[in-house]
Parts: sequence; structure tokens; C-alpha cells
Amino acid sequence: MTKNKSGGKLSLQTKRKLQPYLYIAPVLILLLIMFGYPLIKSIVMSFQDYKLSRLDKVSWNNFQNYISMFTDKSFLLLLKNSLVYVVVAVIGQFLLGLGLALGLNGKFRGRGIYQSIVFLPWAFSAFVVGLLFRWSFNGEYGVVNDVLLKLGIIHEKISWLGTPGLSLAVVIMAMIWIGIPFFGINILAALQSVPEDIYEAADMDGCGTFRKFFTLTLPYIKPTIIMTILLRTIWIFNSFDLVVIVTEGGPANYSQTLPSYMYTQAFSSYDFGLAGAFGVLLMVILTLYALIFLKITQYDKAGDF
Amino acid sequence: MNRSTKKKVVGVIRFFVLAFYLLLVVLPIYWMIVTSFKTNAEIVNAQVITYWPKTFTLDNYKGLFSVMNYGTYLKNSLIVTLSTSLVVTVLSIYGGYGLARFKFRGKGVAMVFFLVTQMIPSILVIIPLYVVFSQMHLIDTYTSLFIFYTVTNLPFCAITMRSFFERIPYALEEAAFVDGCSRGQTLWKVVLPVMFPGIVAVFVFAFIGAWNELIAGTIFLNTQKMWTIPIGLKSLVGKYNVDWGSMMAGGCLALLPTALMFIFVQKYIVEGMTAGAVKG
Repeated sequence: MTKNKSGGKLSLQTKRKLQPYLYIAPVLILLLIMFGYPLIKSIVMSFQDYKLSRLDKVSWNNFQNYISMFTDKSFLLLLKNSLVYVVVAVIGQFLLGLGLALGLNGKFRGRGIYQSIVFLPWAFSAFVVGLLFRWSFNGEYGVVNDVLLKLGIIHEKISWLGTPGLSLAVVIMAMIWIGIPFFGINILAALQSVPEDIYEAADMDGCGTFRKFFTLTLPYIKPTIIMTILLRTIWIFNSFDLVVIVTEGGPANYSQTLPSYMYTQAFSSYDFGLAGAFGVLLMVILTLYALIFLKITQYDKAGDF
Repeated sequence: MNRSTKKKVVGVIRFFVLAFYLLLVVLPIYWMIVTSFKTNAEIVNAQVITYWPKTFTLDNYKGLFSVMNYGTYLKNSLIVTLSTSLVVTVLSIYGGYGLARFKFRGKGVAMVFFLVTQMIPSILVIIPLYVVFSQMHLIDTYTSLFIFYTVTNLPFCAITMRSFFERIPYALEEAAFVDGCSRGQTLWKVVLPVMFPGIVAVFVFAFIGAWNELIAGTIFLNTQKMWTIPIGLKSLVGKYNVDWGSMMAGGCLALLPTALMFIFVQKYIVEGMTAGAVKG
């Protein structure tokens, strides 16, 4: 700085230039250390024979973790379950959240109270919600079977959590239930940001309700929808608490997903190398997904994220 | 169809849509509350499932406090959660403000980095931290959870705070600069009072995130007297047998603080996200 001839002025400029970094430095440094270190460490571990019980014997093991991961006989099942879980849950949350936001967009009596009730699941812990679903779908004492029997939809009790396919469906339903408010609130806020006057112009041109929705509303709230879907997909794909709580992956891994399997492996055998390999795989899948998704939706051109 | 019939039809459709969502949310909660007031004999009776407690009992709730130290768990949860959400909120204010109000080199990279933090599976963070925390003798301390919860909740909270800042007109700050306020003064005295809904919202996001977390808790805390509420409840889940009455009672108590908080602040959340509305 002293090199410069008009020293005083530049030092003010430098100060100006440094100012933004002072504001974001605490957050960025903390995150870089606390996410950066574990991330690098786990990538390294994924190439090692790293067992918590034998920390003195850590050694490189020639991709053995990756080999055991891909040759695991349930690997394809886990991959399939993960995809079904994330796709159905995200689409379900999005459509139901959109419906809720559209229903809420407008004035009606009691809206404040109504809104605070329907958004409640946002505040709920996945753990308690998981238990509640596990209890409601209990094969013997569960309320769901009782209601379906009384309505005549089924004729004998269904073992929801003990049947391949159905157990994953229960996990997905719990996930959708807990995630509707996140979509609902975000989309509602976006809907309320749409300026009224564009609708007035459309009314004068005689546009129908559906046309207005698809040509005016949807493009306006599209950035919100894209960001929400992206974040939610990432969170759901990585989440495993509901699986662990509702079904413990059962029966026989039929509702096990990649992250829940990774969790179970990591803390039953304490084989952190193998867990690291699963983690790296999840990161690779999500990075590819994010890149492709942002490309297809052309968000990279429109936004600054 | 003329205008007024069309309006009526839309009104009726909206009524059914709203009723559907209300039932969707209320029925599971109802079932949890009802179960928590039933006797064990009534709960596990496959012949008759009752939709209102035949014998109303508080035993499930009493049991939580006498048998399983619910009071201790509550205290632990409060300590960890409040410290986490306070620190996250303050850090988010500075980080969010910096990201919203300045253009600087590396901003794009910083934003991508925030997105990447969301992709890292939590287990990948927990395992290395577990090893480090053991070496630093932080296992079984509030500090371990405080650190983990602060770090995991920070990215989303900071980004959300940024978008709240972006919705506040810059002219407000410029006026303060003209009056000779520094940036720091302007932030605290002019911007933050207007930002109140956003700050409350971020505080609640962090609170909910920390209050509800289970997995890291079970890994970082071993001794029972350090457990938080979710870990305490988890200990009630047996391999083949669950005491559903206590479980549902514990669930109700665990959800109560965050639910109450959320009821009061949800309008701020929507407001904070909507007001001014520059971009999605």
C-alpha cells in the first residue's frame, strides 16, 4: 500500500475493499475449517483401512472400501431405494406444497390461525414424526389399519412395516408430511411477491385462470421453485433419520437407503473407511445432480447462486 | 359461467383444499396426543382401537419425569439449543449482510461453497469430528454439540439472512451514511430494527435445527446426565418393544416448545421472505 503515490486515498480504498471480507470472514472461516477438514479427512479415510477399533493400524488399502461398496450384494437395492425415496418424496412435497401455497394465497377469515397450524410440521423433529408414523402404521395396534378396515378399503390388517415396498412407502409418506411446509412457505412468499398489476392487465386481455397461472404466475415464482427443489433434493437424499427410526431399513434392507446403510455400517462395525467411500459416492451423485439440474433449468444463467 | 358463479366455485374448491391440508396435519397430531393420555392396556388392545381415551391417565407424563429424568434432558437441550441459536443468529447477521450488500471477488465461489456444505452427508462430518473430539476430550460435553449444531445450521441461516437483507431498500442505509453513521452503526441502529422479522425467523430456524437433532447427539454424548431430549426419548425405543404411551407423551413434550415458537413467528417468516420482494 505504501508503494502508491496517493497513499491516503488508496488506503481508504483498500479499507473499502477489505470491508466485505471482514463481514463474511467469521462465517466463511468457521465453515471452511469445520466442513473442509472433515470432508478432506473422510475422502482420505475412504482410501484407507480405517477402523475405530484399530486406529494404530491405519493403512492404504488399494480401493478396497470402494470394491466392497460396489460389490455389496445389496448395493443395487440401496441405490434403487434411494432414488425412489428422493424422487417420490420431492415430487410429493413440491406438488402438495404448491397446492397449499395456492390455497393460502388470498384473504380469508382465520387465515393467521390456519397458517400457523398447517405449517407446524416444519417445527417438528424427524425423530418424533418417525415414531408417530411407526406407531400409526403398526400392523396390529395401528390406527391406519383400523380406519382402512372400517372404511372397507381393506379386509384384513396389513403389515405395513414388514412388507417389502410398503415399508419404504411409509418412510416416504412421513418425509412428505414433514416437508410440505417448507415448500408451502417458500412458494407462498414468492406468490405474494407477484405484483398485482400484471394480473389486471391479463384480466383485461381476457386470460383464463389456468392461462394466467401458467403464463404469468409460474414464470414469476420459477426461481424460488428451482432453488427449493434443489435444496430439498439434497437434504432428502442425504437424510436417513426417518429410515432408521421408522423401519430400521427393514424388512431385510427393503427400505434401506445409501445414507442409512452408511450410518448403520459406520456405527455398528466402526469401519469408517467404508463409510467414507459411501459418503464420497453420495457427494459425487449430488454434485452431478446439482450441475445437471441447474443446467436444465438454466438457473446458472438467470441467478447469482 | 359468469363472474359470480365462477367466484363461488373457486371459493368452494379452496374450502375443500384448505380442509384437506388441515386434516392432513391435525389428524396425526391428534393421534399422538390421544395416545399419550391412554393407559398401556388400552393402547395395546388389538381388538378395540379407541379414538378417545376410555380411561384418561397422566401416568405416561409422570413416568417421563420420575423414571427417565426428563427434567435433566430438558435443561441440557435448552443449554445447547439456546447457545447455538444465539451464536448462529449473530454470525448470520454479519455473514448475510456482507453477502447481500457488497460486491467482491470470490463472492460466487463463496455462494457455491455454501451449496456444497449442504451436500456433505452429516455422517462424513460427524466421524472425523468424533475422532478429533475424543482426542480433545470434548466427548460428553455441551461444547461438542454446540460446535456441531452451530456449524451445521449456519449455512442455511446465513443464506436466508442474506435474502432478508436484500429485501430491505438500500436507500435506508445511504441516508444514515449521509448523516455520518459508520457501517457498523448503520447495521445495528438502522437496518436491524427493520429486519426484526428476519432475525426472529433465523433464530427460530437454528433453534428448531438444534432442538430436534438426534444422530450427532447419540454419538457425541455417552453419559445419561448429558443427554438431550431426543436422545432420552430414543432410549425408550427397544429393539422389539416400544412403550408407545410414554413415547407419545415424550413426543408431545418435545414438540411443544418448537411448536409454540413456530405458531408465533410463522407470519414473520412469510413476511420476511415476501416484503419488498426483489427476487426469489
